[in-house]
This record gives sequence, structure tokens and C-alpha cells, in this order.
Amino acid sequence: MSEEPRIGVFVCHCGLNIAGVIDVEELTEYARTLPNVVFAKRNRYTCADPGQDEIRKAIKEHNLNRVVVAACSPRMHEPTFRRCVAEAGLNPYLFEMANIREFSSWCHPNTPKEATEKAKEIVKMAVAKARLLRELKTMEVPVTNRALIVGGGIAGISAALDLADMGFKVYLLERGESIGGHMAQLDKTFPTLDCSICIEGPKMVDVSRHPNIEIISFADLLSVEGFVGNFKVRIRKNPRYIIADDCTGCGECRDVCPIEIPNEWDMNMGVRKAISVPFDQAVPLVYTILKDYCIECYKCVDACGARQAINFEQEAEEIELEVGAIIVSTGYNIYEPYDDSLYGYGKYDNVITALELERLILAAGPTGGKVVRASDGKKPHRVAIIQCVGSRDVNKYEYCSGYCCMYSVKHAVQLKEKYGDDVEIYLLYMDMRTNFKGYEEFYQRARKAGVTFIRGRVSKIIEDPETKNLIIRAEDMTLGEPIELEADMVVLSTASIPNEGTDEMSRVLNVSRGADGFFMESHPKLKPLDTPTDGIFLAGACQGPKDIPYSVSQGSGAASRAATILSKKTWEIEPIIAVVDPDACRNTRVKCGICARGCPYGAISAPEGEPAVVTAAMCHGCGTCVAECPADAIAQMHFTDAQIIAQIRAALAENPQSKILAFLCNWCSYAGADLAGTSRFEYPPTIRAIRVMCSGRVDRDFVLEAFRLGAGMVLVGACHLPYDCHYISGNVKMKARMEALAKIFEKLGLSPERFRVEYVSAAEGVKFAEVIKEMTEHMETLGEKRIKAENEKLQPTLERMLSRKKK
Amino acid sequence: MPLKLLKTNMDKEQTIERVLHAKRYALTLDKELCTGCGICAAICPREAIEIKKSPKVEGERVEPPTINIDEQKCHYCGMCGPICPFGAIEVKVDGEHLISVLESESFPQFIREIDVDTTKCDLDCVDCEEACPLELIKVRVTSPDGEEVRDIKSWPGKENLKVVVDIDKNLCPCCRLCELKCPDDAIRVRKMIQGFIKITPERCPENCQDCLDVCPITGALYLSEDEKVHVNELFCIYCGACKMVCPEEDALELQRTSIRHTPIRSGAWNKALEKLTSTKEMTKELQAKSVKKVKETVEKRLAWRG
Repeated sequence: MSEEPRIGVFVCHCGLNIAGVIDVEELTEYARTLPNVVFAKRNRYTCADPGQDEIRKAIKEHNLNRVVVAACSPRMHEPTFRRCVAEAGLNPYLFEMANIREFSSWCHPNTPKEATEKAKEIVKMAVAKARLLRELKTMEVPVTNRALIVGGGIAGISAALDLADMGFKVYLLERGESIGGHMAQLDKTFPTLDCSICIEGPKMVDVSRHPNIEIISFADLLSVEGFVGNFKVRIRKNPRYIIADDCTGCGECRDVCPIEIPNEWDMNMGVRKAISVPFDQAVPLVYTILKDYCIECYKCVDACGARQAINFEQEAEEIELEVGAIIVSTGYNIYEPYDDSLYGYGKYDNVITALELERLILAAGPTGGKVVRASDGKKPHRVAIIQCVGSRDVNKYEYCSGYCCMYSVKHAVQLKEKYGDDVEIYLLYMDMRTNFKGYEEFYQRARKAGVTFIRGRVSKIIEDPETKNLIIRAEDMTLGEPIELEADMVVLSTASIPNEGTDEMSRVLNVSRGADGFFMESHPKLKPLDTPTDGIFLAGACQGPKDIPYSVSQGSGAASRAATILSKKTWEIEPIIAVVDPDACRNTRVKCGICARGCPYGAISAPEGEPAVVTAAMCHGCGTCVAECPADAIAQMHFTDAQIIAQIRAALAENPQSKILAFLCNWCSYAGADLAGTSRFEYPPTIRAIRVMCSGRVDRDFVLEAFRLGAGMVLVGACHLPYDCHYISGNVKMKARMEALAKIFEKLGLSPERFRVEYVSAAEGVKFAEVIKEMTEHMETLGEKRIKAENEKLQPTLERMLSRKKK
Repeated sequence: MPLKLLKTNMDKEQTIERVLHAKRYALTLDKELCTGCGICAAICPREAIEIKKSPKVEGERVEPPTINIDEQKCHYCGMCGPICPFGAIEVKVDGEHLISVLESESFPQFIREIDVDTTKCDLDCVDCEEACPLELIKVRVTSPDGEEVRDIKSWPGKENLKVVVDIDKNLCPCCRLCELKCPDDAIRVRKMIQGFIKITPERCPENCQDCLDVCPITGALYLSEDEKVHVNELFCIYCGACKMVCPEEDALELQRTSIRHTPIRSGAWNKALEKLTSTKEMTKELQAKSVKKVKETVEKRLAWRG
């Protein structure tokens, strides 16, 4: 902007919150002396309507083209004032806030003089930045109002039906032959004991009949490109060797097929034909030829006859879809404890998993609903159910899988109801977790039915080689002594684990996974269905083990989250994004691509020989690439190098040796500092803080510049490692960068305590105050003299290192 | 649930099993009946049958190749059972002898045409029994009440006695040796596999008679005075055991031209037939089949003429 800046500064009393400590009169006077400030005024409450009116009036009367409000934290009222200046016709990004409440009056109540001095410098920094502010336009991207749902289990089905009912076109992608997921494998559901497929089947049929839903089954997700509202998705439809439109699902082909193979759907306990459906209620009811097993006798072709639905020449087909939002509901898998010799799974015939029992007890299952032993086909009279196999185990899966207690109680009740006194059930558990509606009552029902609950861990299971019975050695915690049980069958309630292919899916979707391997939500409390990538949502057990009602709710929740995008014609993007200067980008000359590799969102592409390009709608505005760029060819809007350096220079203009210059990330450490203020934790008024969106934005040059100007201490505040960063991995990039820098400083003779990286969460106000106290103490211990001497020694090197910056 | 795929290898047989909770599959190879001809391996759609040549020890008879079935690959379609000329492979499902490809008519059975007119037999003749190289024939003499008569000479009224010739047809490869050896012209055998075999002695390695060593049919191959092996095509069953061990590429030529089997319409059989014979022979069979079909249709249409 060529226009000379005309800045108006508004100092807020905030009642006595600010004015009670800080001399607001003096501060306002001081503001008037700052360059380009043409107007300064104080108000009792700037955020209240009269205060806002004054701002709007002043903009008009004094022809202001920049506004600085010295008041509370920008995390509190920045949006309010942005709206206010916009109403007066000023671009909202020509507004800057000076946080003199949380950062001064509230944390230095007993040193009003120092607090006022600090407030002056905070205003000075804000004005310095305001002079360099530029107009920015909120971007709008068009939205494709169709959705893709990846995974057709009960969560995906719920999401699909909800979105379709809202009127959006939905593609439901399923890797397997049929939708339904694990729920379709189950016999009955707790705590009501209604038949699982009887309640899920109609939903599955609804999905297939819904005019807004297209099921794409037996297909893989290949790639996802684009951004919120505008995803391009490539899908490979695997060949079924059946023409789906012509298949009537009659099953005549299956009847003539001579080849029987183990049915994975039945946990390999039963068989299916080489041409078949995994289960009779499959949706879509389209048969599949499993080519690996087919002997190509073509008996099925004869049986199909005039329908001509079989095509042995069918090939995989790739399709491309455009969608505005994606819901990931890829589900979970069951841990099969082959690797744990304790339980003898895979070694002893009569040790099975709970899901296998589910198939056995199911009337349509491989044994027609008869629970029989694998070793002799006889009915077991003593069944031991063992909880927490793999779950809650520090050596295996640390987390609790959540719903196993309930399904085990269900199994116990089912066996009791089926066989009565003919079967004894021992249920060995660590803790019985029966929260949620109707669950505890169901547990009591099992107790009344005569199930023996034994609290304790199993130490060993041994098989009697003659009878194939199992001897279980365990500890009975209630009795406080070891016990030994003999059972005819052992059922293991094994852990729920991330589904097969979750890692690949996380790569394709650019959705990160937690330490447990499940997908990570954006925020565990407030954004449980969002991912860090806008427009991609999570539902169901792909995010962590969940039972059916929870998964259904999440499906509906994710549908509603997706609808917030799909229902809009356009999607607004905050313009604080990164922009590449194509002339300065070195990727045209050398193979660089550092920015592209560093971007946590995959928003940058750097094709060989061409300047890097930022896809605006994918950029989240963390600024990590800006700091990483070796050629300074990327700028972050609203947080440009020039703006931040102006803030540094303003902060360190006077007595730099006795100041701590801090770079605080917006989401954690700045919020932590705010909390220190709101909690009225006192700490020395030595710190001058610069807000950046992410610690990843903190350029090496900023730190160099601070020391070049003679700063006493430099602090970089970030979110906790490894997962707290709001931009996935900005803090990780910052850490590497700052560790390398610290090594250089060490060699140059800088006292190590003068440069600090600290991880402060938004909840750690105490910690923030402690850090500042500590650093101030260190600064005082070192003494001005030593600091000045060190700085003098550093000066030439820093000048050289920064020569590039001096434009 | 882990897939339980078992294998037991014993001196006389190899058994592989697939044990599921609800079903049990077993395939047994009788090593004594197996000649290592490799027909089963050639048609196995899963390539689950591996043929291992026995190492040759200088100066000793070469042993026929052995067969190893991969329990991981086999999916118990059972095609190897009916195609074995010697009946060495048996498939059982839940303990029952059951070959699903036969049940569904996806695979044919050999037609083993062996007719014995016992009325022509001499009471004391056991030539056929002695002739059978695989010891599949048992000759008995029975009294009118069905009792076996051991001492024929002291039996009063010899005209009441009957000769019974039991032939284990399922294991018979139809070599015709019995037919040829029968002095009374009482046996008629039709070969189930037709073809041609030719040995070019000039191409044979010095002193090699490996083919003769493994040939299951006495007299189909013989060593002539020139110390070279020659063929008597009359008895050859075209199993191909000789070809499996022949060390020279072109010393022994063997080609099957047709296989007598129960009528079938199956892609799996066409493929097997192509592998065992040649594309040409398979096409021939398909053509014959369609000609037959056309003929049937025409006959049906003209049936009103009476």
C-alpha cells in the first residue's frame, strides 16, 4: 500500500482491570508520539458499543487507515475489533491488537510503573507492526456438495443415510464385497439381545435403495487430492467378474460351483464357494468370483444362463470422483493373539476369540448356531471367557478396548440362555466396565443367570493332550490366591486394533494417527470428529474402539459436520496463508522442495525446475514453510518477516540486555501466557512477546536479529511434543531448527541459558510464569555486563549471518 | 481363526488336511500306486503339486520321481483324483470319499472299458492275473453257491464251476497286457489314453535305460539287443512317466491324442485336456462335441418322421 499509514491507537481501561494498574493517560500520550500515529484515545470499555462507535467515528473523522487497540488478548477480542473496523470500511486485516491486560496489568499489579513501561512497549510493537500491515482478502472457494464416505460399517452407513436424507449425494466406498462391517458378523447385540443383522440389515437395504447414495463396493481408495469443498478422489473398482447390474443375486451359480474355500467372513470356520457372497444378507447382493480359487469350469456361466451376468474378462476400473467432504469410517480389526504363548491361540484347538464364538453361536453361522469344540465337535460344558487379551497390557496395547466387558457378559448370558445348567461359565476379568445406559443392569442379569465372575489375570493356559480340555492357571484377586480351572473351551476377548491398511489410508488422506495407531481427531474434547485437514471427518472405530450406539452417533455427528461444508455454496479461507515469490524460489535452479517436504498439510508442490506453489485452500497458515525456506522466498500473510522484525526492533529499542524476547505460538504458549495473566500469576515484567500462529513460524533469523540487537534472553514457546501442535508438526520442525541454532550459539560463546525453547500448554499458566521468573533470575545472575560483553563478541558474526536480511 | 493346514508324510502315503471348525478336507497320495508320471501336476489349477526327480546314482536303477503336495496351495477341488491313471490320489470331505468337481460335473472320469467274458475262461488259467503288471487282477473259481473253490481237481462236476475275474478297475490304467496274454480271447480292453510314443535310440545317452526303469507297464518298453530301449506301443498307456526321467530333450517323444472320458462340458476339463494333449487335440474334442450336438438337434427336429 503506497498510502502513508495513518494509525489510530485506542487504549482500553477495561474498567479498572487495566486502568487500575497502568497509567492509561500516560500510555495514550505516549502512543501519540509514535511514528504514523495520528490519533490516540482511551475508552472505559473499548469492546462495548460506545467504544466501538468511537473507533468507527475516528476512522471516518481522522481518515485512519490502521487501527491499534491496546486492551486484552487478541485471542479474546481480535474478531470483535476486526468486525468493527470492517464496518467502518477498513480492511479487517489493517487492525492490530496490543495485549496490555493479560500481558501487563494482570501479571504485574504490584509494579504499576514497570507495567506502564511494558505496556508502552507493547503498544509500540503493535504500532510497528501496524505500519506494515496490508489489506488481505478472505478467499472463497466453491464447494462441491457431494460427500465420500470411506468404509461401509455401521458408522459409515449412519453417516451416509443422514447426509443422503439431508439431500446430499453420497458415495459410500467399501473395500469388501458388502457393506455392513463387523456389526453384520455379530449374532446379537448388548444389552437388549436383539439380533444384529435384523437391525442392521434394513439399514443396509435403505442405503442400497436411497436415491442419493451410490455404493462403490469391492473397491480401493487410491488417492485424494484437493482441499475442503474440492476433493478429487481416485478409486479402483476391483473386478468381481460379475456384471453387477445383471446379477440378480439368485445364487444359482453358487449351487453349481464345485470349489469350497475357507470363508474369512466366518473367521475361516466355515466355507464359501469360489463364486459367492460372504453372507446371505450382503448389500449390494452381487456375487463375486474369487479368481484365485476358481478352476474356470464355467458351470456358473451355464447356471446363470440368459442373464449373462458373468464376465471372466472383467478388469479393474479406475474412477475419479469430485466431492466436497470426506468421512473416514474405516473401522477396526480384532487382535489375534498368535504371538502370545500365554493363551495358546492357534496352538490349542479349543481356544477361540470372541468374534469366532460370535460366528459359532449365530444360527446362520458355519455350525448352524451350535457352539462346538474344534477338537471333537462336541458341545462344551465349561466355558472360560478371558478378558483384556492384548488390551490394557503395557507390552501390547495399552488402551482399554472398551466394549469387550459388555460383549463377554453378553456371550455368558447367551450361553446360559441357550444351554442352561448344562454349561458353566467362568468369566475372568480385571475390572468390569459397564458404563452407559442399561449396561450395568445387563451385568446384573448375567450374575443372576449364574455366571461365575472371577477377578484376576490368567498366568497360563495348558492343554490336556488327551481330552483337549484346557487348564487355566490364574490369580483370584478376591481370594488372593492362585487358582486352577479346567474348561472345555476358552474364549479370548481380544483387543480391538486399527484396521488393516490404516497406515496406508493415513498417507492417502493425510490424516495422522495416534500412538495407539488409530486416527487422530483434531481435538479430543471439542473436535472429536474433525481431522486437522479441513473437510475430512472421522466416525466410528477408526478413531478408537467403540460400541454400536457410539459408532452410530459418531456417524450422524460426522454427517452433520460434513453438512456444515456441503450446505454452503462457497467456503471461506482465512487469508493468513503462505505465498511463494516465484522469482526468489530456488527450486527453479536447484532441487530444493524443502517447503513441500516441510508442509504438514501437503499444501505445497515443488515440481522440479519450477517455483513452488502453495494451494491456498489447503494452507492452514502455520508459517512453517516460511521459516524453513532457505531463500526467504515464502511470506506468510499478516505475519511477514518485515512485520515480525519490526516488532523485534520495537521491543528491543531500549535496554535490550534486560529483556526477554519471546515468540509464542497462538494456540498453546500464548494461551498459556494469557492464562498466567487471567490467573493473576505475577512474574517479572521483563518479557516482550511476539505472537505467531505456530512455533514453526519462528525463523532462525528472528532469533539472530534479537541477539544482534542485544536482547538479554530469547524464548521460543511451543505446544507440547509430540501431538499438541495445532498444525500437526510445526513444533517438531521448530525443535530441529532451534537445536541446530543452539549448537551454533554454544560455539559462539553465548551462555546456553540465554536461548530457551519451552513447551507450554494453554493450561500451564503457572509454568509460563515460572519460566519467565527463572529466565529473569538467570538474566540477573549473568548480569548486564556479561550479557553486553557476549553480545559484543557475537555482533560481527550475527551481522554477517543476517547480511542477507538487510534489504 | 487360524487356518489349520496339516501334512503328514509317511513311507507309503502322504496326506494333507484342511481342518475348519465346521468341515474337514483330506487328500491322500498313495505313494505305492504313484508312478511319478506327473499328470496330476500338469493339470493342478493351483500348481500345488510338485514333482521331485529322484537323484540318479551311477550304475543303479533310477527311481521314479516323487510327488509332493503343497498343503498351503491345495484347495481340494479334487481334479487330481479322477485324472490319475493309477488311482493314487483320494480326496475326502468329512471322512467321506467326495470329489466336488465330479459331483458338479466340472470334471470327467476316465472310461475304463474292460470286459471279461468268463464263460470262455479255462478253470485253471490265471494268465491274466499273472500278466497284470500292477497286480490288479484276481482270478477265482466259485461253486454254484458262490463259495470259492480252491481244489478244482477233486471237485465233482466241473461244469458247475464258474470262473470269476476280479479287476480293481479304479486303479487300472488299461494297458491291455491281460487282453494280449489271455489264451482264450476272453478279455477286451480299450485304452483310455491314446497317443503316440517314439524313442530315437541314436539320441539316447550311452547305457541309459531310465525310461525303462520307471515304466509301470511290463513290456511297454524293452531293451533290445543293441542295448537300447525300444517301445512296444501296444501296451503303452501314455502316462508319461518315461518322459519325466528322460535326460535327453528329444530322445523320447510322447504325445497324447485323446482321452476317453465320461461326457462333460467344462472349461476346467478343456484346460486340463489342452495341457495333457495339445491345443489341437482339445479343439478336435470340442468340434466333435459340437458336431454331436448339432446331430442331436437335427435328429430331434426330424423325429416326427419316425
